[in-house]
Amino acid sequence: MVVEGEKIDQSKEWVELNIGPQHPSTHGVLRLRVKLDGETVKEVEPIIGYLHRNAEKLCEMDYYCDSLIYFDRMDYVGAMNMELGYLEAAEKVLGIPPPERAQWIRVIMAELNRIAAHLVWAGAFGLDLGMLTPFFYCFIEREKILRIFTAVSGSRQQTNYMSIGGVYQDIDDQIIYDIDQFTEEFPKKLEEIFNTFVKNDIFISRNKGVGILEPEVAIEYGVTGPMLRASGVEYDVRKAEPYLVYDKLNFDIPVSFKKDNLARFLVRFEEMRQSIRIIKQAIKKIPDGPYFNPKAKKSLMIRLRGEGEAYARTESSKGEFGVYIVADGSVKPYRVHVRSPAMRNLSVLPYLAKDVMIADLFSISGTTDLVFGEVDR
Amino acid sequence: MLVEIIEETKGKDGRRNLKVAKENLVELIKDLKSKGYDHLSLITGIDRKDRLEVVYHLHNMKKNEYIVVRTETMDERMPSISSLYAAANWEEREQYDMLGIVFEGHPNLKRLFLPESWVGHPLRKNYDLSKVQYINMDEDGNDYATFDPGDGW
Repeated sequence: MVVEGEKIDQSKEWVELNIGPQHPSTHGVLRLRVKLDGETVKEVEPIIGYLHRNAEKLCEMDYYCDSLIYFDRMDYVGAMNMELGYLEAAEKVLGIPPPERAQWIRVIMAELNRIAAHLVWAGAFGLDLGMLTPFFYCFIEREKILRIFTAVSGSRQQTNYMSIGGVYQDIDDQIIYDIDQFTEEFPKKLEEIFNTFVKNDIFISRNKGVGILEPEVAIEYGVTGPMLRASGVEYDVRKAEPYLVYDKLNFDIPVSFKKDNLARFLVRFEEMRQSIRIIKQAIKKIPDGPYFNPKAKKSLMIRLRGEGEAYARTESSKGEFGVYIVADGSVKPYRVHVRSPAMRNLSVLPYLAKDVMIADLFSISGTTDLVFGEVDR
Repeated sequence: MLVEIIEETKGKDGRRNLKVAKENLVELIKDLKSKGYDHLSLITGIDRKDRLEVVYHLHNMKKNEYIVVRTETMDERMPSISSLYAAANWEEREQYDMLGIVFEGHPNLKRLFLPESWVGHPLRKNYDLSKVQYINMDEDGNDYATFDPGDGW
């Protein structure tokens, strides 16, 4: 089954509207070419590529350890998850698994970053709908996570924290205390943020029943992550194909069967609550030991040779983030290909935004959670 | 299996790799789709210098099984599977953009990231990185690429 929107009558003269690439509601540099009938959207054509840097080519030209920084700059609000995706594939190719402690540190950082990425999304989604207040609440909380990142890695967003065979430096008791403190305080603040959204009647009426995405269509288009789970498909890579130590942790996959904008909003908020649950368990279970594999000493990094090929999937905040590395036995990868979940989620927009009002187009594109560093790579 | 499998291997990630001839590709994927491989995860083109390799990652969501289908082409042409999976539409456009693989039967084979007038396909191994191309916008709002840095308004 291939789902295609009903073809519109091209002989008729539609009002053509160009939105973006520099429009505040397009979350970066998305350009939409919209055909309108009055205020109703008849056809949407997303035009992407304004932030294209060809990270895949840059990876081919660099050593395995150097390519990591291009992944930081893909999903720039969820850098830890991007690094993790690359390292999962690179470590398979290089044959350097991370030690136990590094795996637990990675889980904590990935989950903290998932919360940060969802908070950015929630704030920006509020702005799309004309709500200014939640934006500040979200960013205050996000700043607390970024402070933890600064303590562990030295930078806020482009952390470059994980490295081949482990992490860049160990976390000490002070950082564990800070994370613990954060997990204690955050749930209360999260409910506060949640209430600023859902206690607003306008927010509910603008999102309820808008942008219905049927599960069959979602799978057909390769939609993953919270968007797929909001359509009623219980699918999460952390459960389906556990990586790191996710199989030792206790958490649930939030699913909604309502399929609309509000469902996607609720699924993402529930995911943040589950992430807190994971972090709380992880900081209790984190074992002592080395934080990097001795085979990946800093002085040996540029001599690492990859062999074979591997495709690794991880669950980033947008969905299934996959990295496919083909190695040819040299110090540089032969081909790197990235499966961008946000791009796949965007490709369903022409289907979702058919015959909706122009104002709803932005609430729908808002819930797809686009970050253009990742869509364009 | 209906079609002849040239080679079956296992990748470093433990996934099954099936290698088929170009002519049998659509038939095999149609067969796999009817067996429940409903999620097309990834299409990757690889420039092997003398030939182009195309790799399809298919995923069975219910059984959580993965299968990798590989095929090769000598003449830069491949049959399109966009009539089987809607996700293949943008995936194939991306591979056409980056590697110049022409997917025959694709409904809208345009470049995905770069403007239409871009010269060359960047992920080819023989792509000349020393030639700088500049992107401008014409008065209708469409992007185009040019070698002249002083071009545009």
